[in-house]
Amino acid sequence: MTAPREMYLEIRNLHVYYGNIHALHGVNVDVGKGEIVCVVGVNGAGKSTLMWAIAGVLPIAQGAVLLNGARLPAAPHEIVNLGISLVPERRRLFSALSVRENLIMGAMRRKDKEGIESDMERCFSLYPVLKERLSQRAGTLSGGEQQMLAISRALMSRPMALLLDEPSLGLAPLVVESLFATILKIRDEGVTILLVEQNALQALEISDRGYVLQTGEIATSAPSAELIENPLIRKAYLGEDA
Amino acid sequence: MFLQTLVTGLSIGGIYSLMAVGYSLIFSILSFSNFAHGAVIMLGAYIGLALATQLHLGLGLVVAGSVVGAGILSVCNERVAYAALRRRRAPSLFLMISAMGCSVFLENMVYATIGSRFYTFPEFFKRQVVHVAGSSLSLLDLFAFAVSIGAIFALHIFITRTKTGIAIRAGVGDMTMCSLMGVNTDRLISIVFFLAGAFAGVAGVFLGIKYLVYPTMGWVTNKAYIAAVIGGLGSLPGALIGGLILGVVETLVSTYLSSVMRDVFSFTMLITLLICLPNGLMGLETEEKV
Repeated sequence: MTAPREMYLEIRNLHVYYGNIHALHGVNVDVGKGEIVCVVGVNGAGKSTLMWAIAGVLPIAQGAVLLNGARLPAAPHEIVNLGISLVPERRRLFSALSVRENLIMGAMRRKDKEGIESDMERCFSLYPVLKERLSQRAGTLSGGEQQMLAISRALMSRPMALLLDEPSLGLAPLVVESLFATILKIRDEGVTILLVEQNALQALEISDRGYVLQTGEIATSAPSAELIENPLIRKAYLGEDA
Repeated sequence: MFLQTLVTGLSIGGIYSLMAVGYSLIFSILSFSNFAHGAVIMLGAYIGLALATQLHLGLGLVVAGSVVGAGILSVCNERVAYAALRRRRAPSLFLMISAMGCSVFLENMVYATIGSRFYTFPEFFKRQVVHVAGSSLSLLDLFAFAVSIGAIFALHIFITRTKTGIAIRAGVGDMTMCSLMGVNTDRLISIVFFLAGAFAGVAGVFLGIKYLVYPTMGWVTNKAYIAAVIGGLGSLPGALIGGLILGVVETLVSTYLSSVMRDVFSFTMLITLLICLPNGLMGLETEEKV
């Protein structure tokens, strides 16, 4: 497999426990600058565990996550400050807060008032519907709108890398399509993306490289175009008969 | 007579509200009832007392000193007694037990060092009264009511308009996500405890002026706790309204029925309300859309 041009995020031999369960056994993932890398796998493979561990919420038992060659700090708020932002599974919006307040929360680490305003506009150009819902409580949005808000909230921190955990979960196919189109747009603006999906085919279609996570281990990895063609992958993850 | 009773009730209710706000703030962010809050109120009263009797400061400075002192004590309380449990994700019951321990410890510390004597504040208002529509209203009562309302209103503005306030409300919903937004949650929790302590300081000074200062004076927070539950634990407007309702009802009962009936009434009200509205008058509804 060809290595990415410039390494950005390196996950080295990661072991993570989720309660008493040894959820990740020595996972290695490389994410190059400006890439979209996807990790596919079935429910319970350890995909979300991987994301929570990178973001600093789950403690790392062994191994390391490196950013530009340096180990990430342990506290989640320090990791965000380095420019890594997580959009977790099921969005986890602040449902009692308004859409605007959710976006302000996203920009919590920043002090530049004008930059924050202009980034809000940037989010509205990506997802115009949010502008109409600005003072509405986030909990009252539709599923698709909630996902747009969750991504926008993460973008408000001006991340270098975005961790997207199952963004397509529970969304109608058409909504998923337009959502994935915006993920490409976000990458084109220079944000590196690590995408975790059960929806393997669509995730592989928009990503540069893919990893297959199986019961806490990386089973295989290859450029996404190759993975899509791989008959074993097609059978196991795309629901096709070989 | 009625107006006078009402104002007395509102002033007591205002003080209940100040204390209830402390319970509500901490409950909303850590989901446990901080039974050490009464001890912080008691210590706030002693701080105020020391400033008033030893340094002969005026009421404004006494309240300010007590606000800062009780605020800092409240933060220390969290750091020493709750932070370790919190980091180990202990069930909230354990935090509550730790809080009870703190309360007993602090009260006995005061017994052992300052003693069990009852103290009185110097008279700031010299029994001044204002005559309105034939009733004479105590200036202290009016002042206590005004300060309580003013403080809670200021807190409301802080919680809804400032960045830190928004972060506190976000933390109430989801502390983990709050940390993923770049918020240092340990610091956020300290801010919340400082706010609760600051309100305890104001309440302590007013309680001390209205009644007496003694080691177990914090037990009056039972009432504030009832007020917080009536209003809906975790809700600021709820704490205010719960406190005022309780204060007014209690004063009306002791004036027109009998002061022996006062607590019977308060607790009956609490139980009836909990049966009809388990979340209190303004309890938070939680909603999540998947």
